[in-house]
Amino acid sequence: MIRAAGVTRRYGALAAVDGVSFELAPGEIVGFLGPNGAGKSTLLKMLCTYLPPSAGALEVCGHDVVRAPLEVRRHIGYLPEHNALFDGMRVRAFLRFMGEAHGLRGARLAARLDEVMARTQVTDVARKRVRECSKGYRQRIGLAAALLHDPPVLLLDEPTHGLDPLQVVAFRDFVRELSPGRVVLFSSHILAEVAQIATRLLVMQAGRLCLDAPMEALRARCAAEGRDLEALVLDAVARDREARA
Amino acid sequence: MSDAAVHRPPPGPGPLRGVGVVLRRELGAFFDGAAAYVYLVGALLLSSSLFMNEFFLTARVDMTPFFEALFPIALFLLPGLSMRLWAEDRRTRTFELWMTLPLAPWQVVAGKYLAALGVWCVYLVGTTPIVVMLAALGAPDLGLVASGYLGALCLGALLLAVGSLASALTSDQIVAFVLAVAVGALLYASGHPRAVAVLDGQVPGLGRLFADHVSALPRYEELVRGLVSLSTLVWFGGTSLVLLGLETALVTRLRQ
Repeated sequence: MIRAAGVTRRYGALAAVDGVSFELAPGEIVGFLGPNGAGKSTLLKMLCTYLPPSAGALEVCGHDVVRAPLEVRRHIGYLPEHNALFDGMRVRAFLRFMGEAHGLRGARLAARLDEVMARTQVTDVARKRVRECSKGYRQRIGLAAALLHDPPVLLLDEPTHGLDPLQVVAFRDFVRELSPGRVVLFSSHILAEVAQIATRLLVMQAGRLCLDAPMEALRARCAAEGRDLEALVLDAVARDREARA
Repeated sequence: MSDAAVHRPPPGPGPLRGVGVVLRRELGAFFDGAAAYVYLVGALLLSSSLFMNEFFLTARVDMTPFFEALFPIALFLLPGLSMRLWAEDRRTRTFELWMTLPLAPWQVVAGKYLAALGVWCVYLVGTTPIVVMLAALGAPDLGLVASGYLGALCLGALLLAVGSLASALTSDQIVAFVLAVAVGALLYASGHPRAVAVLDGQVPGLGRLFADHVSALPRYEELVRGLVSLSTLVWFGGTSLVLLGLETALVTRLRQ
């Protein structure tokens, strides 16, 4: 569903993403982990076609992000890190606009609006302006906008940023509900958060992928080696750093 | 059944419907606050009062002075409309939202531009009581009035294309405004007889060259005087399209 082959993104001499390769299949909840500046957001921006790769191939649902960007955008729901929304619009009007921009209309649009607003629990702020909503509501509005057109790929950049602990728990449950038949790729720099929800872990460090493994395999390794997950991930990062040095 | 078939997104809005979606959002955003109404009322009061002053002095049942005064007023009115089109999105980061929707950059550019042009049309409709007043007081040449409105529409199309391109160049609305006013002033002044004479005095033929090929003023004045020609309409339409094409290329490049 997502295929990256040697994907590189350069800003001048700096490679923000450097030769990253992976394939993701439907049903996977992929935690995308790494410190700030590791290249997570850059890779997500390439996946949503906002940035073109400098080299390599990147496909979403069989569509190349450079050659068929509109097809890629049809198949993704994207919640960006800063989640900028049209603040002056009322919540339902904003979501209606997002649905129409994806080609939804008529009864299907109305039904999707009702369904997604109920699932993301934003119905009670439907008539408020986006700027009047709290951070938690804004994240949920962004998530509702990403889900309206029922995309098979969900890209969530730091989706729990700014949420309170109860909202984080609700978010985890929600992502689990969403995952059947979909790829959910979400970035974070908090391992504990990723570990609770992801079925697969991708770890980036200075633009390179230094760990790509199913969570079950990682947990089994932890049990076998008597180490915790954090130590295992840090070890992978350190080995990658040594290999580069 | 493959998993991809379980979640089947819609086929996208299509070219014209996509433009319509953007147009509706931008019109809604403009008319959502009091600023739009203040803008329209202020613009109508300014242009109407300038015309009424002329009307009482000359007592001519003729709308030509209104359209003659409109170009210099529009130099400030139209950049006021266009300055937020992209600069606001760049400042608030909603630019990324536009560029990740299944809409091609040209659709977003066209939708935003047509929304601004729609507001200009609302302003022009707001000036029609002048026509009613003139018709009540005498017999104005309605062909000349229609030609003047066509000129005002062409002028709006051109200056809004300049303004929306200026707005895409910066995230600061004031800079976008100043840039659009400066380019608009060049399009006006380069056809003004005094500027032409001064330039011709410096370099023989230069003033005439600018007036013939760069300035919008001679072409606008033709329309105001009732001389509607295909070449004038093609010049306004073609120049606006070229500017919108440049804006589309710029917007596409901005996300890279």
